[in-house]
Amino acid sequence: MDGIRIESLSKTFRAGQVRALDGVSLEIAPGEVFGIIGPNGAGKTTLLGCLLGFLRPDAGHVSIDGHEPDDLAVRAVSGYLPERLTLDRWMTGRHFLAYHHALARLPAPGRAEAAQAALTRVGLDAEAGARPIRRYSRGMLQRLGLAQALLGEPRYVFLDEPASGVDPAGVVLFRRLLGEVKTRGATVVLNSHQLDQVERVCDRVAFVKQGRVEAMETLHAGATMARVLRVRSPAGAIGGIVTRETLEQAAARAGAELREVAPPLARFAVADDAGAARLVGALVAAGVPVAEVTPEEGRLERLFLEGEPAGGPS
Amino acid sequence: MIPAIILATLRQRFTSPMRLVILVAAVWISLIPVLVSPGSGFAMIGDCYFLALALAAGMIGEDVSSGTLQLLLARPVTRRQYVFSKWVAVAGGTSLVVVAQLLLAALVIALRGASVSWGGAALLLANDVLLAFGISAVMSLLSALVPGLGDLGLLFLAFLSTQVLGGLGSLKSWGALERATQELQRVLKPELNVWPLLHGDPASPAAVASYLSTVTLCLALAVMVMNRKELSYVSAGG
Repeated sequence: MDGIRIESLSKTFRAGQVRALDGVSLEIAPGEVFGIIGPNGAGKTTLLGCLLGFLRPDAGHVSIDGHEPDDLAVRAVSGYLPERLTLDRWMTGRHFLAYHHALARLPAPGRAEAAQAALTRVGLDAEAGARPIRRYSRGMLQRLGLAQALLGEPRYVFLDEPASGVDPAGVVLFRRLLGEVKTRGATVVLNSHQLDQVERVCDRVAFVKQGRVEAMETLHAGATMARVLRVRSPAGAIGGIVTRETLEQAAARAGAELREVAPPLARFAVADDAGAARLVGALVAAGVPVAEVTPEEGRLERLFLEGEPAGGPS
Repeated sequence: MIPAIILATLRQRFTSPMRLVILVAAVWISLIPVLVSPGSGFAMIGDCYFLALALAAGMIGEDVSSGTLQLLLARPVTRRQYVFSKWVAVAGGTSLVVVAQLLLAALVIALRGASVSWGGAALLLANDVLLAFGISAVMSLLSALVPGLGDLGLLFLAFLSTQVLGGLGSLKSWGALERATQELQRVLKPELNVWPLLHGDPASPAAVASYLSTVTLCLALAVMVMNRKELSYVSAGG
């Protein structure tokens, strides 16, 4: 398996007036979870469109496992969830999954069971499966879309804003499913604005801006300590009466990690909001005088903000 | 051809309330002359042109405008298979409606005490099936060109243009223009008249060739248009 190779990819719209991609080159290894981030209009969805063979690049080349992206051999092992999910609204959820099961050329015997299993996998019950798609909420649509993208355990999964419009439980489910996909060795290309999610699930991230890859970040995939908190104490406390050992013990009790002590500040990594609350409680219980706690933006957030024009995303 | 697309298209077309109303109305209206004059047999039933249009309108364009085509073509399905499957589904669906229409007509004729000519019914069915496949091929091309139900608009415009040009040709006695518009009209409504078979006359080879070439050309152009189509909701590099 070769993975995905993108060489000097360029794409324009409106007879060359709008340059969506400008010489993008990337290599995505088999089994890698690769994130694409960037402001609106940066070219992320265009890049995904070229990877899926929906758009023809003006210049450059894309190959997946050594094949053209629209090769049926590639499509037979790919799953795709578009950002603007428009499903066949007249179908029921179960019928829709059975339809895509057939389109994916998966074996007909056991198709109904496979459709039901796919519904269950994304947390949709039998009643939801029997309901016409036009009566689905945004979150249910997204779950159904994810279920169809994962039908047949594809080797390549292309996800465009998969957690968009999904409730917190859905976000957790999405992360768990992505973990499963990664565990079985599939390659995932994830286009998302939800930087905390990208930071948690991706091995590498490309920051795309004005059609170019401006930066690449290698992340610690599956990091559980996704947020960093800065704790400030009154002068003379941290680094003085509060020792590093006290801070480490309090952090350990709260399931957090002490990252750095720079009086009067200490930096801790926590998993989520609940972890942050536990940490503050543990610090107070340990007699640490806490004057202020502020969240620190993640690596991707920093990357995003540093790469942004002053006016913010377009 | 992909059976899943054929079946899904048939289900979609026959569960659309608007299309169903049009189909039922068209079938009942076609039965009125039979009811009034059962002795005339099946000859009083018009052709399936409007039935075919009701089922074919937006056959590809609606998938393009709704965005469902993107998800479908992310699957191992070629655009040629997609166009052919849609064509067969729509033409096959029209043929099924024609069969139902003829059975109802036969029932009306029998109930009114007239004799049912099954040979006539078979020829009418053959005529309509050929027309259904012809119209569906034309609509597949028009539907590949424009999104939504724009194919109906294109067809109407094309017919209007041929009428105007034909009238102009007739008025000015421009024979070439008249013949050209007649040819265009034949392209817009490809049919093969098999009624002469009732009298033992074979269909004209020229008519057969004209019908087959029109259908083939429309399908080939539809596939070409689809192959050139870029699928994206991004028009400006989102």
